[in-house]
Amino acid sequence: MMKKIIIIGLILNAMLYAEGNRKNVVKKNIYERTCLPCHRYLPSSLGDMYMRYLKTFSGEATFKASLKAFLKEPLEQTSVMSDLFIDRFSVKDKSLLNDKQLDEAINIYWDLYNVRNKLK
Amino acid sequence: MLVSKNKDINLLLSSEQSSLLRFLSLYAVLAIMILLLLGIFYYKSQEELMFSNKRIELSNYANEQVKELKLLHHYFPSRTEYPRSYNFNSAIYDIEQVEIFSTLKNSDVNFDKEIYRSGDKIHFVKYLDDYYLGAKYLFLEVDEDKKWYTQTITNIMILGILTLIIMAIFGLIFVNILLRPMKNSIRLLDDFIKDTTHELNTPISAILANVEMMDTDVMIEKNKKKLHRINIAAKTVSHLYQDLTFLTLNHNQQSNNEWIDLKSLFEDRVEYFTILAGSKKVTFYLDLNYSAIHMDLIKITRVIDNLISNAIKYNKRSGAITIVLRKEYFVVKDSGIGIESSKVSAIFERYSRFNSSEGGFGIGLNIVKSIIDEYGLKISVKSVLGEGTDIRVDFLKASIGKGDKK
Repeated sequence: MMKKIIIIGLILNAMLYAEGNRKNVVKKNIYERTCLPCHRYLPSSLGDMYMRYLKTFSGEATFKASLKAFLKEPLEQTSVMSDLFIDRFSVKDKSLLNDKQLDEAINIYWDLYNVRNKLK
Repeated sequence: MLVSKNKDINLLLSSEQSSLLRFLSLYAVLAIMILLLLGIFYYKSQEELMFSNKRIELSNYANEQVKELKLLHHYFPSRTEYPRSYNFNSAIYDIEQVEIFSTLKNSDVNFDKEIYRSGDKIHFVKYLDDYYLGAKYLFLEVDEDKKWYTQTITNIMILGILTLIIMAIFGLIFVNILLRPMKNSIRLLDDFIKDTTHELNTPISAILANVEMMDTDVMIEKNKKKLHRINIAAKTVSHLYQDLTFLTLNHNQQSNNEWIDLKSLFEDRVEYFTILAGSKKVTFYLDLNYSAIHMDLIKITRVIDNLISNAIKYNKRSGAITIVLRKEYFVVKDSGIGIESSKVSAIFERYSRFNSSEGGFGIGLNIVKSIIDEYGLKISVKSVLGEGTDIRVDFLKASIGKGDKK
């Protein structure tokens, strides 16, 4: 009897664990799924890159439009990163996301690091 | 001297006075406009001077603030406190002119001017080459020092009033130069009339006295008619003499007011003019009620004489003159040539005549108007060309007597 109870408990535990994992996968947004995995291994964080973009393009609309254009057609000339960085890691590959997905990812990125919400 | 000047001004015809007023108004408007423009230029130059002084100070503050923003940008987000100063407030805006952060007291900002006044603050804008924290525009705000404003307004007021006084003096000089020929011609005419009047007195008195004394019973009919004509002519000249004397001598003398029975006066004056009216076969129709007025006898006589004399002079042959007297007004109505409606307003001007075929100097109605104005009475003229003229004089309630005969 005791064995049966332990086995049923283990099965239930396993089911709950599996359900939790499934929920975690659903929670990740497009930015986390498509941007973070690669940038995680770069020495310059996405926060640093945001500040570089902000220093170059200033306004929200300009920022987003420039970043989108770069992600669709990455070029050395249009990159805001230093020559040293590009020499070391080269320019990224073209994004495989469509326009809607790119907009969504960029909006999440802008909101995440937006200086307006953080200045005091 | 003042009296003399006023007299000179009174000598001017109303049309000339209105031209003079128009000239003075135009001169005053031009002078004020020039002063306003000069004041605005002076104010703007002082404001620009103040801005150029402030620009240096604010430019230094802006450079310091840019350094602080650069540091904050570098350390962001580990440091998030916006740089503040005791000397100024500031704000940053992005390239799309959207506010990033602001400590401005007056958030009414202008992106097109480098330095400007906003309420009681001065705003200075620095355009950033590197967009630290995304900022393209850095606004600095300081309190406006009102000293320059007070000083400038005081200077404008003092200089403006001084200039206005100088321009007013020049204006008076110009007016005097402008009026001199006009005054001279009017004075010449008045002097001529005064001299002529003086010379008329003795012969007219002699003619009238001798005509009255002549014994007509022994005269033949032909000579009686001649004497009658002499009497009419002498009375016409006498009437003119009375007007001229009044104009040159009596007008400026003090009035000797008394209660006057107007009904008796009208009857007396109508009798005096009967011979003159008879020469044109003009008939008088009198509708007189009792009325008394508190006035100078000579002056009210001049008014009545002139109205009756004109009614005879401008009447048709075999015409009629109707005189209506009521407690509060009287009307002298003729069946004469009438006056064009466009000329009615000018009939009281001195030396204006409406029919060159008739004699006279055109001073009668001017005398009437001056007396009417002196006593605050009201005169109105109703005329139809070819049908006749009604002249009505309304009395002031204060100047008329009780209804019962004293």
